[in-house]
Amino acid sequence: MNVSSFNHSTFFKSFFSFSLQTKTILKKHYFIFSIFTLFAGAILFGFILTPYDPVETDFLNRLSSPSWQNWFGTDQMGRDIATRILYGAGWSVGLALIVSTTGAVIGTIVGLLAGSLGRFVDGFCMRVTDSFFAFPELIAAIVITGVLGPNTVNMVIALILVSWMRFARLVRALTDDVKQQDYVLQAKLNKIPYILILTRHYIPNIVLSVVVVWTSSWSRTILSISGLSFLGFGVQPPQAEWGAMLLDGKPYMLTAPHVMVFPGLAVLITVLTLNLMGDHLRDHLQSLEK
Amino acid sequence: MNNFMRVAAIKIVSLLLVLFCVSFLTFLLYYYAPGDKALAIANARYIGEGSASAELVEQIRLETGIDRPLFVQFYYWAQDIIQLDFGVSLISQEPVDEIFVSQLWETMELALSALLLGMSVAIPLSLISVWKPKSFIDRFAIALSSIGAAIPSYWLGLIFIFVFAANLQWLPAYGTGSLSHLILPASTLGLWVLSSQTRLIRSFLLEASTAPFLEALKIRGVGSKELFCRHIVRHAFVPFVTMLGLELAFLLEGAVIVEVVFARGGIGSLLVHSVMGRDFPIIQCIVLFSAVTYVTINSAVEIFQWFMNPVSQQR
Repeated sequence: MNVSSFNHSTFFKSFFSFSLQTKTILKKHYFIFSIFTLFAGAILFGFILTPYDPVETDFLNRLSSPSWQNWFGTDQMGRDIATRILYGAGWSVGLALIVSTTGAVIGTIVGLLAGSLGRFVDGFCMRVTDSFFAFPELIAAIVITGVLGPNTVNMVIALILVSWMRFARLVRALTDDVKQQDYVLQAKLNKIPYILILTRHYIPNIVLSVVVVWTSSWSRTILSISGLSFLGFGVQPPQAEWGAMLLDGKPYMLTAPHVMVFPGLAVLITVLTLNLMGDHLRDHLQSLEK
Repeated sequence: MNNFMRVAAIKIVSLLLVLFCVSFLTFLLYYYAPGDKALAIANARYIGEGSASAELVEQIRLETGIDRPLFVQFYYWAQDIIQLDFGVSLISQEPVDEIFVSQLWETMELALSALLLGMSVAIPLSLISVWKPKSFIDRFAIALSSIGAAIPSYWLGLIFIFVFAANLQWLPAYGTGSLSHLILPASTLGLWVLSSQTRLIRSFLLEASTAPFLEALKIRGVGSKELFCRHIVRHAFVPFVTMLGLELAFLLEGAVIVEVVFARGGIGSLLVHSVMGRDFPIIQCIVLFSAVTYVTINSAVEIFQWFMNPVSQQR
């Protein structure tokens, strides 16, 4: 292998093989992915399906039970719960996607640097990671959001701050493995620039594992976001976040249980789907290794 | 044994380093918190609702050294913390450690009973599930662990209150005191322990049962029962103890939401109330406590793992 082989065409070839891999994953585990696509479609285009507004109140129709007009009933302000759950997915699932993706990027960069550069960088990055890891996620998120001021932006910042370490540890361990491989040593001896070794060897080797952890981080973050909102630290009540809806409906749960049952079910089903998708991806990854 | 001392020494040094970083991060959070802290202290301490006079604020500023540079403040702060002096609560003026310790017992009560409940089901369930793969119990264990991991605990708590307290009226919904107050919160948290532990113990057992030496034992004619009890279970024991240690630290986190839902006392609701009231001494105490517990348990577990693994001792 000489220097000239590191051109754009090989770079694209590796990307092509990656997309081929994605195709086989989709073919094998089509069931869970079709449910996932269904959910994603409902979240992205849900506003077309529903005639109601998520925030506008209708006091004549408050706390009515599930019916053909309002599938999941209405809440204490007469807002349609099904509509609010559809719109709320944008908050819960969308914000969680932003948080886990940002966390994944930060963690991957830290892990790559720690694993591929020298011992000093490694020691420094990992002690910082350990220190952040020491704080239990939820407690740290509550304190950071609470101290900065309870609102959506601060909650996102707090959740990113508590979620990147998982990726950093994983990526560091994987990168360390790749570093020991002969082809990386050879590339180094051939004076291949660091950035090329990074994109050609390190990153393709870690991508799938990062994706697996990313799905589980995504579902954990959905639970954290709705939990924080339920405690009053996250998305604030007029907005239709699932945890905030529960907080809103809590005083009415004895007379109108549908107010609290459906938002919780939405969290449960979404998180379950994401977890199962992560499990399927992990199984696929393990079958690749064998 | 000399080797052990060396490993322990390295662990302790890195533990101290991490503890230092942890306390610095905790302090940074306080230091960069928005708002005038001197004014907040003055308002909380001397005047109920209205704002304190400028002189008073200035006096407190001098007294507490809030306008000093970051590292000077951190130095004095750390001096107090090392002596376990967390100061007094800004709201009630009571010493933080007294408030904290009294609440800690309530959380420990909840966490330990949840752990006991969860474990007493999780261990037999995962053992049977691995002993008889693809049986009904195996499928049940898999389903339970995936659903349990996805249930939001605050929702489960509300459902429990709705079903067992409001409709059936078997158990009290809110508050603390008797054993019957503990049952609902402990089972909410216990279900979480149950699902996560079933998943973990099951995966440990499955991993242990793929070890190549089992094949050799099987060929030698060791019965499947003996294989399972003496070899597979024993090999899954070390990761199990590791997880048990960390589970205790995670339980503290799970307790926060459960305590709030059931309106119990404890560290969790203390934390939420202090954060709402911006009572920094209490927040710092709880955050430091949880971080230090986690780091210490983690290091103890690592040393335990080293101790249990004969390979690492020969090096």
